[in-house]
Amino acid sequence: MQRKPPRKSKHRRAKTSRKLRSRSPPGQISGRHPDSIGSFVEASARALGIPLERGWSEGVAFNLRLILRHAKLVDEFPLADDIEPGPVFYA
Amino acid sequence: MLDALAPDDLAWSTAAQLAAEVVAGRLKALEVVEAALARIRARDPLLNSFTAVTDQRARDRARTLDEARASGKPLGPLAGVPFAVKNLFDIAGLPTIAGSKINREKEPARQDAAVIERLEHAGAVLVGALNMGEYAYDFTGENIHDGASRNPHDLKRMTGGSSGGSGGAVAGGLVPLALGSDTNGSIRVPSSCCGIFGLKPTYGRLSRARSFPFVASLDHVGPMARSIEDLALAYDAMQGFDPDDPACVNRTPQPVTPLLGRGAAGLRIAVAGNYFKPRGAEALQAIDRVAIALGVDREIDIPQAERARSAAFLITASEGASLHLDRLRSRARDYDPAVRDRLIAGAMAPASLVVKAHKFRRWHREEVLKLFADVDVILAPATPCVAPVMGQQTFMFGDQELPVRANLGIYTQPISFIGLPVVAVPIPLSPLPIAVQIIAAPWREDIALRVAYTLEADGIAAAPRPPI
Repeated sequence: MQRKPPRKSKHRRAKTSRKLRSRSPPGQISGRHPDSIGSFVEASARALGIPLERGWSEGVAFNLRLILRHAKLVDEFPLADDIEPGPVFYA
Repeated sequence: MLDALAPDDLAWSTAAQLAAEVVAGRLKALEVVEAALARIRARDPLLNSFTAVTDQRARDRARTLDEARASGKPLGPLAGVPFAVKNLFDIAGLPTIAGSKINREKEPARQDAAVIERLEHAGAVLVGALNMGEYAYDFTGENIHDGASRNPHDLKRMTGGSSGGSGGAVAGGLVPLALGSDTNGSIRVPSSCCGIFGLKPTYGRLSRARSFPFVASLDHVGPMARSIEDLALAYDAMQGFDPDDPACVNRTPQPVTPLLGRGAAGLRIAVAGNYFKPRGAEALQAIDRVAIALGVDREIDIPQAERARSAAFLITASEGASLHLDRLRSRARDYDPAVRDRLIAGAMAPASLVVKAHKFRRWHREEVLKLFADVDVILAPATPCVAPVMGQQTFMFGDQELPVRANLGIYTQPISFIGLPVVAVPIPLSPLPIAVQIIAAPWREDIALRVAYTLEADGIAAAPRPPI
């Protein structure tokens, strides 16, 4: 089966006048809680049922900061409501 | 045509040359396979490319081919060609270890991966499984369980990853053809570091059935070789719909081998600017060489490329973590710590932003497809630098110091994000090669391969013979 073409979106991107927020240093989700990652890692690991052994948190926090830095770059880009996500599922 | 049967000739012959000799009856498939097995025994202790050698299976298969020829049956276009696969592809009778410790406990696979079946249907002979970065979450080719793959051009250097063994085995003359997988650059990065050709086809083109996944939204499989003709022969043999891979698109196979000689004349080619502007001397030299050879003076901007890379990074972290969540709960100690920490962190990535990354993927795809109304091919560096030294943690990217493990794929990641077909062509700089990406519109592997073939014919791109 041929993959269906994506829906045409009327909206493309907001005007450039919509200022993109400046990037925060790694580890700051919003720039307001610079020390939150360590406790977030511990709490998330508990919620997910992943046992964190002594000494692992630092490496996880380092990687989570990196992920969040990339996530922020995605987050600050304005996208129209009607843009479909990339993955396609065929019933 | 080969005039002599010296082992060295067999080592550096292309798959096309070997198959021609076997089809013509000047070489037996068994001779070709035995020579490959001998090379693996002699050289792999240095290169550490292989994690399993399927010698008995290979001999049986080669004998079957020789018997078929003796009885007048036609042989396929890859008759007698030894090949090996990244160890995330299922090989019947072996556990699919995917570079991990944990998967060694899996039941042996009952059936070969779809692409192995298709290559063998074309006459190729599987000789083994190849080293890789753990669970493919890697750009270095290092592996704490099996040891690092070593670069044949300098054994102290990385092969690049995660298809590191595939890069080393082909560049080191152990096999003329290997299979790799590419989620964010894992075919193109080792092709660049090891100085070989690699094809990452359009997302959905080749079946991933019976290969161990990493990121379903971004996983591709493809061939790696020392010539474009070999890439094309292998790619043609593997094309075709496969309902066993939900992402495999039902398209009529479009053989590219007969089209290679059409050349690059008339194609509209541009060099990717901005984000893709090389900041290292070797990457710059390689791009310049290719651009000059093709007469390209046009630059094009791939919109939001940095953001595309970030979105790929985020989707990779989240989907990779989701795949491994149960194992992280019960077996986290059995992972490479560097991979474990990345995966656990990925499990904590906010879902709302991951979905946004998928939406951005759609937006980005539409914007980039507009570019292809105006160009046929985009050139970009494959890696920011030549193969780093083993164990090297960071490299200089302009005036920035970046971690190697996450950033060797800085130029490959935005391209695979939207599934574009890419051929990595090695530029034989001295002392170490580095590759350039030849990028085409979706489903136009033929165009990328034609340009690559032209560069190879003109001597601009080549897989240099290493000093081992």
